[in-house]
Amino acid sequence: MSGSEAAAVELDDVGRRWGRERVLREISLRVAPGRLVALNGSNGSGKTTLLRLLATRLRPSSGRGRIFGHDLVREAAAVRRRIGYLSVQSGSYGTLSARENLKLVATLVGADPAAVDSALRRVGLEPHADRRVRVFSSGMKRRLGLARLLLTDAELWLLDEPYASLDEDGRVLVDGLLDEAKRDGRTVLVVSHEPERLVGRVDAAIRLEQGRLHAVPLQARPRPEVPS
Amino acid sequence: MTTGRRATAGPLSDLRAVLAIAGKDLRSEARSRAATVATVFFSSVTLVVLAFALGRDSDLMTRAAPGVLWVALAFSGVISAAQAYQSDLADGAFEQLLTLPLPRAALFLGKLLANWFTMTVLGAVLLPVASVLFDAPIAGGVPQLLATVTLGTLGFAIVATFYAALTANLVARESLLPVLMFPVVVPVLLASVRATEAIVSGADPALAGDWIELLAGFDLVYLVVTSAIFHIVVEE
Repeated sequence: MSGSEAAAVELDDVGRRWGRERVLREISLRVAPGRLVALNGSNGSGKTTLLRLLATRLRPSSGRGRIFGHDLVREAAAVRRRIGYLSVQSGSYGTLSARENLKLVATLVGADPAAVDSALRRVGLEPHADRRVRVFSSGMKRRLGLARLLLTDAELWLLDEPYASLDEDGRVLVDGLLDEAKRDGRTVLVVSHEPERLVGRVDAAIRLEQGRLHAVPLQARPRPEVPS
Repeated sequence: MTTGRRATAGPLSDLRAVLAIAGKDLRSEARSRAATVATVFFSSVTLVVLAFALGRDSDLMTRAAPGVLWVALAFSGVISAAQAYQSDLADGAFEQLLTLPLPRAALFLGKLLANWFTMTVLGAVLLPVASVLFDAPIAGGVPQLLATVTLGTLGFAIVATFYAALTANLVARESLLPVLMFPVVVPVLLASVRATEAIVSGADPALAGDWIELLAGFDLVYLVVTSAIFHIVVEE
């Protein structure tokens, strides 16, 4: 992953500690714009910490990082204008409806209010648009998170387990969004515990083990046969 | 790219963000009533119990009214502030907000606006109730009293909103919040009590004006300082 223009993601020896524990160790990474990269790793390997760091929610304890040439710490505001972050949590207000949640985001990011309805339609939540999110299932909350991502219209997507809690229709929706992101030239860093789903869709895969980054080959695992 | 995000920088978009955050908080509170029920109940009980305790001495009651009013408002304000970030923290909504291209000061001012509005409404309701219960004449100084309540609750809400963010993720937030914020907010409370006292006694209108000006000064300093350093509180 290299290129002469500013890298979408560039990390130099980045580390992150929680107290005495070193969660990320000397992470160096360069992702060229427009590439889709899968980030794998076992539970507790530091995947979410790495995404939160790229989303400017955590500061590196050591090293430095840049998003599209903007420093993660000193130019965090500029970084936030370029990223869309889908966290493992729903990230929505339970007392508000799906539509109200998205209208809030649209106002905050300066998106066209009309985009709210199209985002709801796109993720299949239009019939539930005026229901409060606290009655949503975890899969519906995930779909709402995807709608929020569409509203932010970012150049770099940081997706933390986008397939989690989704039914097959929802998984196909995520597949479609990833394919569309690639066509639109977005850069995507996607964490998933289903690497076989991403084969043929991503350009590269990396693996975090105990806070250290390793490149891994893209290999298709045979899908289980499901009788029709 | 699908939605055509507009440019977000500029005072107008920041003002829009402040209003959107405040509107979200007020709408959430109107639906959950998490803080409203507790603050109304607590402040009502405080006024009634103290009125009952001082009930035989009308002169003492009149003199005690300003202090009792602000004690009720201050403790209710702490209860309200402790709830201020709870809907944000549930389900990672605040984390998501913090990844958006939104100035931290706008986020703070939005939360502050909602807290201030809630406290001012409570103050405006408690004022006539305290006047009746404590036999404290307020008819002659309503504009000055409203100014005192507005500025006093603003100063209190600034400090409460700031420290509530600082303690929001702590297990012992309910006990730590008053310990941390009361030493800082004492000047606002003292000025509010003195201004209210001067207005209710009617002795020296100029003295009330001086206290109100001092309150405005406290508010301005607190507002500038907390807005400028709020980003430190929410970064990890």
